[in-house]
Amino acid sequence: MPQSLDDLKRRVRELRNEFEEAMGGASDAGSLQAVRDRFLGRKAGGLTALLKSLQGLATDARREAGQELNALKTELESQMQRAHERFEESRRARALQRERVDVTLPGRSPAAGRRHPLAQVRMRLEDIFVGMGYEVFDGPEVDDDYHCFEALNMPPDHPARDMQDTFYLKGKRDLLLRTHTSTGQIRYMLANPHPPLVRIICPGKCYRRDEPDLTHSPMFHQIEALVVGPGITLGDLKGTIETFLHALFGPQQPVRFRSSFFPYTEPSVEVDLGCIACGGSGCRVCKGTGWLEIMGSGMVHPAVFEAVNRRLGRVVYDPDEVTGFAFGLGIERVAILLHDVGDIRLFYESDLRFLEQFPG
Amino acid sequence: MKVLLSWLREFVEVPVEPARLAADLTLAGLAVDAVEPRGSDTLLDLDITTNRVDCMNVYGVAREVSVLYRVPLRPPETSFAASGPAASGALTVAIDAPDLCPRFSAGVFDVEVGPAPAWIRDRLEAVGVRSISNVVDVTNYVMLELGQPTHAFDLALVPGGRLAARWARDGERLKTLDGEDRALGGTVGVVASGDTSLALAGIMGGAASEVSEATRAIALEAAYWKPLAIRRAARSLGMHTEASHRFERGADPEAPPIAIARIAHLLKAIGAGTARPGLVEARTSGAEGRSVSMRPGRLRVVLGADVPEAEWRRILGGLGFGVAAGGHEGVAVEIPSWRGDVNREIDVVEEIARHHGLDKIPSTIPAARIPGGLKTWQRRERALAASLVGAGLSEVVHYAFVSESEASAIPGPRAALENPLSEEQAVLRNSLVVPGLLDALRRNLRKGRRDVGLFEIGRVFLPGQARPVEELRLGIVLAGAAGSPHWSGKSRPLDFFDAKGIVEHALRRLGVVGLEWRAAAQDAFLHPGRAATVARGQQILGYAGSVHPEVAAAFELRDGAVVAEIGIEALLREEPRAVRVHPLPRFPAVSRDVSVVWDAAATAERIESQVRDAAGPLLRSVAVTDRYEGPPVPDGKVSLTLGLAFQHDERTLTGNEVQEAVDRVMEKLRSMGAEIRGE
Repeated sequence: MPQSLDDLKRRVRELRNEFEEAMGGASDAGSLQAVRDRFLGRKAGGLTALLKSLQGLATDARREAGQELNALKTELESQMQRAHERFEESRRARALQRERVDVTLPGRSPAAGRRHPLAQVRMRLEDIFVGMGYEVFDGPEVDDDYHCFEALNMPPDHPARDMQDTFYLKGKRDLLLRTHTSTGQIRYMLANPHPPLVRIICPGKCYRRDEPDLTHSPMFHQIEALVVGPGITLGDLKGTIETFLHALFGPQQPVRFRSSFFPYTEPSVEVDLGCIACGGSGCRVCKGTGWLEIMGSGMVHPAVFEAVNRRLGRVVYDPDEVTGFAFGLGIERVAILLHDVGDIRLFYESDLRFLEQFPG
Repeated sequence: MKVLLSWLREFVEVPVEPARLAADLTLAGLAVDAVEPRGSDTLLDLDITTNRVDCMNVYGVAREVSVLYRVPLRPPETSFAASGPAASGALTVAIDAPDLCPRFSAGVFDVEVGPAPAWIRDRLEAVGVRSISNVVDVTNYVMLELGQPTHAFDLALVPGGRLAARWARDGERLKTLDGEDRALGGTVGVVASGDTSLALAGIMGGAASEVSEATRAIALEAAYWKPLAIRRAARSLGMHTEASHRFERGADPEAPPIAIARIAHLLKAIGAGTARPGLVEARTSGAEGRSVSMRPGRLRVVLGADVPEAEWRRILGGLGFGVAAGGHEGVAVEIPSWRGDVNREIDVVEEIARHHGLDKIPSTIPAARIPGGLKTWQRRERALAASLVGAGLSEVVHYAFVSESEASAIPGPRAALENPLSEEQAVLRNSLVVPGLLDALRRNLRKGRRDVGLFEIGRVFLPGQARPVEELRLGIVLAGAAGSPHWSGKSRPLDFFDAKGIVEHALRRLGVVGLEWRAAAQDAFLHPGRAATVARGQQILGYAGSVHPEVAAAFELRDGAVVAEIGIEALLREEPRAVRVHPLPRFPAVSRDVSVVWDAAATAERIESQVRDAAGPLLRSVAVTDRYEGPPVPDGKVSLTLGLAFQHDERTLTGNEVQEAVDRVMEKLRSMGAEIRGE
């Protein structure tokens, strides 16, 4: 028991030294609790004992000593609190450390599918034309001679029919698998016998009796476009085709128009794209010409309008009042050029090693 | 068609390099596929479009060159001195079939048959024609030069010195120059002497009257044959010759006498023969002068650019058109006899456009008058495909043709092709799954893939009244394990419920909900215990199921596969419901689980509907959340956990309310023979 204030102050100094020594040895929450019990414990704590011993001092000395001891208590508590926080922090850090993973292990990917490259190209083409104000129109794959040939200015025995060897349906000689999406021209105009403002594309499957090889397939995809209205010109044909080819292949790509022949257009125009493989200097892809045939086009032949009018029973598409242009291009052709596909058959063989090369 | 530059230069000056010539011809519509140096000469390979038979000869190309470069065209030399008795004394000709032959011209020549001179042989060989003899070579030479095919008969072998154009008679036969003995019929035209046919009209000569070294005189036939007649005959005989190629596309009806004169000139020039005086000719009608009226204003209307009058007059004149003086209403344009492809005003416009130059027409964009856009169904098709891609499936595209035996997996009649490429592709597909997607799966498994998910959106062809019905469908096939393989755990094999879930997921994207799944075993290629018809009310949408083990074996699918096929045409065309937002619930939902032991044969749908009936209006949802078969659950029974959710829009539910509802459910289930577990 301290007998005097001085005595007490000495004890406080000793206690502080003992405390600091004890704290120095505390390394975790457990040993910190032992320090707490030793100095601040209700029963055996060193500081608690000193506080109890104050009763033996005179009133003045007791007040002063009380202040001294309280200050000591606050200091010890705050030191222990800081230590406690330190130990907690390192405990949490160790716990988190135990939860660490090897971030270089393979991730868990959701299964990812792909749209078919031809669908991707088709959507790209559709989006370009929709942006230019076109509608997307669709017709049947099994069609008849009238829509596929006759109305397109190819009467029976027309030599141009040789250009498209046709699959016919058994027992129904009038029915065939469409050889081109130009059938959409006729079907759309017949289905829309009102003031002729036509601006459509018709994407779809086509069929020709070609043995499959690197560049041929008995089934393939085309996009046909038809624009009809007053004042539509060959200049419009050129501008439209240039715009869309530049959107597809880049604005630097040269485009050339040359006279050709299709029974349902007059004038008929074949469109060539500067070779994207060699840039026009001539290579294997363009057979040394510097140009790639990309699509057929032309001004709608008046005979086509006349055929539609005949079937409608009245003159809706008057060739003296309206003109139009049409063009058709192969979706495979575009996909082959855009993606450097060496064999057209890859599109139909469902090989995921091929399909998965096309993201999206 | 191959053209030697030196030959071309006989008729026109070519003021540019061959490469430039090729490029200019190509732009004007005569596509030059190749330019090959041939010693000091150059060979051009032209791809002449079917309408331009007038350019399937050297002189025709020369005419185009003369217009291209504004240089004069020099006509071929056709002068000759005839001698001997009149040709008509030795030969008479007749047209017995005007629908086959409107003009039959002929000449008679005294000849000395031998080899042709080198310059003729070289030219023929350069363009791919075999040299035979001086007489035959000259006829071929003139065909290549002027476009008029002719045929030389050994006059001594023409009975009675008579040639007539007529249709072949049924049962008639002819041995042609290629050695084939051919049966003819009424659709084949012949050149005959009385009952004896000597040549196939416009296609090929006959062996019996062939020119040989013993030939002393020839009858030279140069006719104009009707295109359709030659086309049908050649097709029915399965023949295609240089002559038929030209006649069936429409030769020049005025060319026969010119060709005979040119041949006379050349035979004389090479010392191979002399013409007897006079042309022997039959003709059903005179020369038909064709003309068309062209409104100069149409040039601007069609092309979008003006072409100066002097320019279009120069072009037409150079191409052989006769252009009258005329005003703006219309100019009479006479069409040259060799331009059978030109019939109307627009054809004349094209002639002007291609020689004026398409590159001179400025590019414009037509003003948009109507808004474009995808239709609802087109947007929904994209959305459907996107949801399948998101579910891990990749899209495939297959041919529409299958074999008869493959198509027979689906019962019922099917649409077949008249002229398939092979028996394997003889029938139009009636399913996307069989064989298409199963075959695609097999091919990927063969390549070493294990986990495969594929879909196709495409049409199948079902028999219809007048024509096959084209039905747009979605087909899917899944095989292997769910999810990608991962080091963290074992993967789960895919099963029926993956196909069902993907169908529900994809159709939900279209707003199609409330699907009914009815156990079904009608499709023989599906596992009878693991197949369902997918319906919405009365509407059957399609099916889903595991592939029948035997079918799986036939397709080498060792671990089987699950498939689904849904008709989507009508679903895509449904207008999507406008979204109207429900107020968010302000009061919490209460979840309760009920576990029961039930007959294994009873369906989840049945138990759920009983729960719904019994629970009352507070029940928001019920679903099977766990299912267990096996010990200690007795045989024939199944342990199910049902997750129930209760909620009220306007207040918080009390424990009593919920418990009462759950009690009603349990009572109902007990009354139906279920044992409630955990009681």
